[in-house]
Formats: sequence, structure tokens, C-alpha cells
Amino acid sequence: MIRDITIGQYYPGKSVLHNLDPRAKLIITFWLIVVIFLCKSFFSLGLIALTAVAAAALSKVPAKMILKSLKPIVIILIFTAVLNVLYTEGGKVYFSFWEIAVTEKGVNTAIFTMIRIVSLVIISSLLTYTTTPTMLTDALERILSPLKLFKIKVHTLAMMMTLALRFIPTLIEEIDRIMNAQKARGADLETGGIVQRAKALVPIFIPLMVSSFRRAYELAFAMTCRCYTGGEGRTRMKQMKLGARDFVAFLFCAAITAGVIVLNHFFEAVI
Amino acid sequence: MNEKIIEFKNVTFIYDAEDENAEVREKPALSDVSLAINKGEFVAVLGHNGSGKSTLAKLCNAIYEPTKGEVSVKGIVADTEEKADEIRRVVGMVFQNPDNQIVATIVEDDVAFGPENLGIEPKEIRKRVDDALKSVNMYEFRHREPHKLSGGQKQRVAIAGVIAMQTECIVLDEPTAMLDPMGREEVMQTVKRLNKEMGITVVIVTHFMDEAVQADRVVVMDDGRVVMDGKPREVFTQVEKLRLCGLDVPQSTELCHVLGIKEGVLDVDECVDEISRLLGGAV
Amino acid sequence: MSYAIETIGLTHYYSKGTIQQVAAINDVNLQIEKGELIGIIGHTGSGKSTLISHFNGLLKPDSGKVLVDGIDIWKDKETLRQSRFKVGLCFQYPEYQLFEETVYKDIAFGPKNMKLSDAEIKERVLRAAEFVGVKPEHLEKSPFDLSGGEKRRVAIAGVMSMEPEVLIFDEPAAGLDPRGRKALVELIKEYRKQTGSTVIIVSHSMEDIAGMADRIIVMNNSAVAMQGSVDEVYSRGDELRSMGLNVPEITEIFSKLRAKGLEVPLNVYTVEQGSAILRNLIERRSSR
Repeated sequence: MIRDITIGQYYPGKSVLHNLDPRAKLIITFWLIVVIFLCKSFFSLGLIALTAVAAAALSKVPAKMILKSLKPIVIILIFTAVLNVLYTEGGKVYFSFWEIAVTEKGVNTAIFTMIRIVSLVIISSLLTYTTTPTMLTDALERILSPLKLFKIKVHTLAMMMTLALRFIPTLIEEIDRIMNAQKARGADLETGGIVQRAKALVPIFIPLMVSSFRRAYELAFAMTCRCYTGGEGRTRMKQMKLGARDFVAFLFCAAITAGVIVLNHFFEAVI
Repeated sequence: MNEKIIEFKNVTFIYDAEDENAEVREKPALSDVSLAINKGEFVAVLGHNGSGKSTLAKLCNAIYEPTKGEVSVKGIVADTEEKADEIRRVVGMVFQNPDNQIVATIVEDDVAFGPENLGIEPKEIRKRVDDALKSVNMYEFRHREPHKLSGGQKQRVAIAGVIAMQTECIVLDEPTAMLDPMGREEVMQTVKRLNKEMGITVVIVTHFMDEAVQADRVVVMDDGRVVMDGKPREVFTQVEKLRLCGLDVPQSTELCHVLGIKEGVLDVDECVDEISRLLGGAV
Repeated sequence: MSYAIETIGLTHYYSKGTIQQVAAINDVNLQIEKGELIGIIGHTGSGKSTLISHFNGLLKPDSGKVLVDGIDIWKDKETLRQSRFKVGLCFQYPEYQLFEETVYKDIAFGPKNMKLSDAEIKERVLRAAEFVGVKPEHLEKSPFDLSGGEKRRVAIAGVMSMEPEVLIFDEPAAGLDPRGRKALVELIKEYRKQTGSTVIIVSHSMEDIAGMADRIIVMNNSAVAMQGSVDEVYSRGDELRSMGLNVPEITEIFSKLRAKGLEVPLNVYTVEQGSAILRNLIERRSSR
């Protein structure tokens, strides 16, 4: 059912990861992603993979849910693995057929890339599993707040992001409804050439626009009624305070980065 | 003690030609309406679509300015943006479409939105949000995503959002029009409890008679005017007049009216009592 | 003779193939005769919307069959396409499906998709527009300039103009005031009288259906819980209430009178019926 859609996939909990400052989490996530791409050997990558798994365990998010976040990338994983196996040459040849040789280097690269992608997805999905979308946009707003100096309306942008996240599921449901209504009137959305198909979207697109405008209008009304006047003078229920645990997390990241650099140096590079 | 909380003095209102939300066009949505809502009251505003009842609601918290006349809330007239804001701290609004008034992706964040705008201390907001969610029986749902709730639950979240602002008065503009019977019941129970237990003044705009019956006072609108105003029993005695306004009466009321037993009967139990008394001794 | 719509073991799951798999409708077997006016009632989530979305092939059954006029609609692509035209479906708040520049074009959308001739399309549009009471001068207006009530009528005309053999309305009166509700009920009754087609009305309000349906199907927990004549279904008021359905006030009054020991019938669902019965009773009492 289209209705089951989850945006931001927040998983309520009280783990160490949940309690980290969202700003710290955001920065650490980006930091670790950069470090993932610094890894050159299996040992340095292994350290990151281990970190990702340990973090997942710390978050207390069920393994099932973490695996679920990996589901959409299965095809990408297989695709890159096959490409790597087939087209990277070097080292021992395991076996070959026709023109293609499966080499040691090819297999290693394939495994390396797969671990890299999986770690990347686990780390970034942990961010969204342990942080509500509101907290994320709030954190982004604060991290970017120095941009105010350049007259960029950071609060407005963050508010727009929150509202977009809030309304994506609603609009998906709406599209579903409109599509059904037009299909019931015999609209054919599935056959024909590109031009015909594009034309067939008009009966869906126009009602969607009309209703989105109506929603926007009503929402603006409702926000005014709730005394929203922009970012000035607003407080937040959920305060962000960088605490000891955040510094521990930063230190930990620094240690991992150092570890990766050292391991890169001492062990043979795969890529 | 009749302390007025909202007062309309000879209010006329005409929509802008371009206004998307116009309830009626080309003629006044309200003409010369004078009305006072007292503190602690539970008022139902009845009327058919286009009677001006929604416009009346929207004038209550300074979203619209009257074309003629004056609307004041606790004596404040919204002639500046600051005063309009002051009014909105007293009178909160809940709208018809539950989807279009929820701003956050998590229930408790949404309830916090109002108090955050008011610049309340974070700890105090936390307390208000928890209390508000408890008062509408939605505390267990505080970490849920609003789009996965039922219509009635969404409306209760919207009501909690108003309560967390500690407004003295809630105006609900057809809050049940898009809900199923269960959702309607949930919202009515919640609203009634807020009025009776927390003393919040409630103005509910509706075209459902069974909801109006539950109020202390019923105001009937037709063609931009207030045509009846009184206790439910007084209003529902006038079956023919209500019909002329495009409205109905509850079936209990109608049955007793048609049989000529008694006028202004309001609910099933009363109706059953009247009939069995008439059919007398044998029962 | 074949049925207008027949379902055999119709089953549909939500989130099929996952752990959360639940039946939206489970083993539904229904026969709807040609020319019947059927009311389908059930609370939100009872499966009634899923059910009607199968009648014109918007949803594909996970198991079981839907026969329209005796033919399995999933037999092939063309049969499926035809079933959309045979079974018209008018969704809740249909006014939100309007999209054309003019009212005329919008009502013509369905007939056009049926690949009818221009003359035939024109005839049908005019007929449907007149039937729902859209004024001729409104036909060249933009549908977005109409009032809410007029928009709904145009949208209904947009389905009627396809002249389906079966017309399904999902909560047709949602959001309307009492006057609008009554007008709509009359419109549907008149439509059925004039065209003789099968009409299905889906609602969670018993009061809308009480005065018009030949037969009522009650959905509960993804399955058919009851079906029968209006009398039969309404005489089981307590069961209906336990399914989260609200029974008309008048029906409740009569069941309470009966509980007090009065000899009154339980299958009362309109005030006219009820007052006639009581008047009779009162007269008998006074003549004794």
C-alpha cells in the first residue's frame, strides 16, 4: 500500500546515539562518509565497517530495520560488483571465459566497493533512524546559521524543508487518489508513446496543482493562527546542547580517522 | 457573570474577488452581525454551506478584517499586526481539513509549534505539550507520524496544538466535516471535555444537528445573518424555521414534533420517555 | 441471466509479501443483480473502499475473481478496459478530479476515452449536464470558477456521461449540508429511475442509505458481515452498533421503546415510518 510510506524513517528510542546532539550527529555522519572514501586497504575499511556495525548496535535500532534500509541498494550492489569483477584486471587469474577474465584484483575491488557502499548506507541511515526530521532540519538551520551574514534566510529554508518532509506522504496519497479517479474515467496512463504519456499526465497534474495550492493556502492560514511570524523570537522545545558525550563522539571519530590513515599506510591498497 | 470574550459589533464582511477561500461571492458573507460569546460558553454555530458561518469563525481571530463594523477579543481590536497576534494568543483555531494544519512530521513537534512561536521556555513547552496531548488522549501517539493517524486523531492533535498555546477560547471551523462517525464522536467528546473540565470557551461551527444539540447555546446563521440564538431546546423547538434555513432537526425532535407530543425534544432518551409516558400505564 | 457484478472468493492483501501482510478484504462472495440499488456500509478500514476498487479493476485481486456481466474482468487487457466503462466509479470528493478548461470538456473526458464519435460525446455531455442540473451557460465556464456544490455536480456528470451499466458512489454526500445531502439523494434516486442501471452507494452513514437501497451489504473486519433487505439489516441494530456503525436515531428510539416493553417493530429507519406506527398505536390506545 502506497500509504505505508515512511519519510525520514525515525525510530523512537533513548540510546546513546539518539541522545547525541543532532548537529554533532550531522557533522559526524559527513565526517565518517569522507573517511570511508579515504580508506584504501581492507584493514582501514574494516575499521569503518566495524564502527558502522558497532554504532548500529549502540543505536538499538532492530537489525531488521537496518537491513530494510539496505534493500533498495541491493541492485546497485550487485551491479557494481559484477562490473568490478568483470572489468577490473590484475593479479592472479581465477578463471576466464571468452575474452573475460575473473582476476584477484577484480574480486577484491568488488568486495571492497560493496563493503564501502554498505557502510555508507548504514551510517547515513543511522542518522535518520535516530534523529527526527524536525531535529535534522533544526540542526541544519543552526549549522548553516553563519550564512545569515550573507543575507541567506536560513530559517525560512529550514522551515520549507520541514514542510516539504511533512507533505510528501500526503501528496503521494493525493496522487494515488487522483490517478484512480481518472483511471475510473477511462484515462489510459500506461500505453502510448512519450508524447501521449506526457499528455495523459495532464489530468493528474492539474488537480494535484490545484489541491497543492489550496493546501498551501490553508496551511499558511493555520500557521498564522498559531502565531507563526518567522524565525524571530521563536524558541525550541527540543534544545540542542553540545555535551560531554558529543565531545567523546568527536574524539572517537578523530581516533578512527587516525586509525584509517595509519592502516592505509601500512597495508596494501586495494584501490 | 457574563464576561464577553469575543464580540461582533455590526460586522459586515465581503470577500475579495480573488480570495480562494471565499465562502460566498458577489454579496456580503456577513451582513450586520452583532454577537457576543461569553467566557466559558460552549457555542455551536449552525448554518448551511454558504450561510456565512465559516466566515464568522475566521473573523474571530483576526485572519480577516471586517469590511464594516468591529470584532474585538477581550476588548482588543486587531488594528495592528501586534494586536492581531495578541488576539491569536487568546483565540485558537482548528480547521476542517486535518491534513492542512499539521506542520511537523512528528506529533509532539507539531503540538510544540504554537508555543515555540510564542517564545516560551523550552522546559515549559515540554510540559505544555505533554499536558495538551494527555488532555486529548493522544499522549501515547506523541512519537508517531501525523500522516499515519486517522482523521479523528489528527484533529485531536490539532486541538492539542491550540491547547498548548493556553488560549482561553477555541474556534473550530467544521472540524468534523471530513471525518467518519467514530472520528466525529472523538472530536466532540474531546471538545466537550475541554469546555467542562478546563473551562475553555468553545465555538464550534457545524452543520450536524446532533453536534449542535450538545452545546450550551446554538447560533443559527442564514444568508450572512444570525437568525436564531438561544439554548438548543429553544432553537430546536422551531422546526419549520430551521427547515427554511436549509437545516434539519435531530430525528428525535422531528418525531415528537410530527406526533405533536412535545416541541424541542433533544435526544433519544428524552424522546423515548415522552412516547412511553404518552402510551402510558400499560408499559 | 448473469449478475451485474459477482465476486468469487475475492481477497486482497495490504503490504503483500511482507511480515505486515494483512487482508484488506478476505474471501468476499457477492452477487449484485442488474438494476439493484445496493448500499455498502462499514466503518473506515472495514474494507469497503478496497472492495469497490475491485469492481472496475483499479485493484487486482490477490486471489478470487470479479465478474462483470458474467465475464472475468482480468481475462485480458481489453476486457479490463471495457470494465472501466461498464462500471463507473465516483470517488469521495469527486470535485478534486476536475482538470479541464471548461465544464463541457471535463464532462466529455470519460466519453472521449471511450473513443465515441463527437456527436455521441456531445449528446452524452449535454444529457449528463442537464440531469445533474448544470446550467447550459456554465458549460463553457472553467470548472474552477464554480461553487463547491456545483463542482461536485459537474464531477458526478463526468462519470454519468460514460453511461455505465453500474454506477458506484463512494460517500457521495461527504461534506454536504442537510440540504445538499437531500438533493443528492434525490438525484441518485432519479438517475436510477430514469436509466434503470445498477447503483451502488458506499457510506458510513446509515441514514443516507436507509431511504433508498433495495439491499444492504455490511462490511466489517475485511469481510461481509451481513447482507439483506433494509428491513433485515436494520432489525439487527445492536450488531450494527457493535461494528462501530451508527444506526439512525429513529431506529435507536424504536429499539429502546421495545426494550421498555412496547410492542413496536425494530426495522424502522425513517421518521415517516416511525410516526405512522406510533400514531396508529396512540389511536388504538385512545379508542380503547
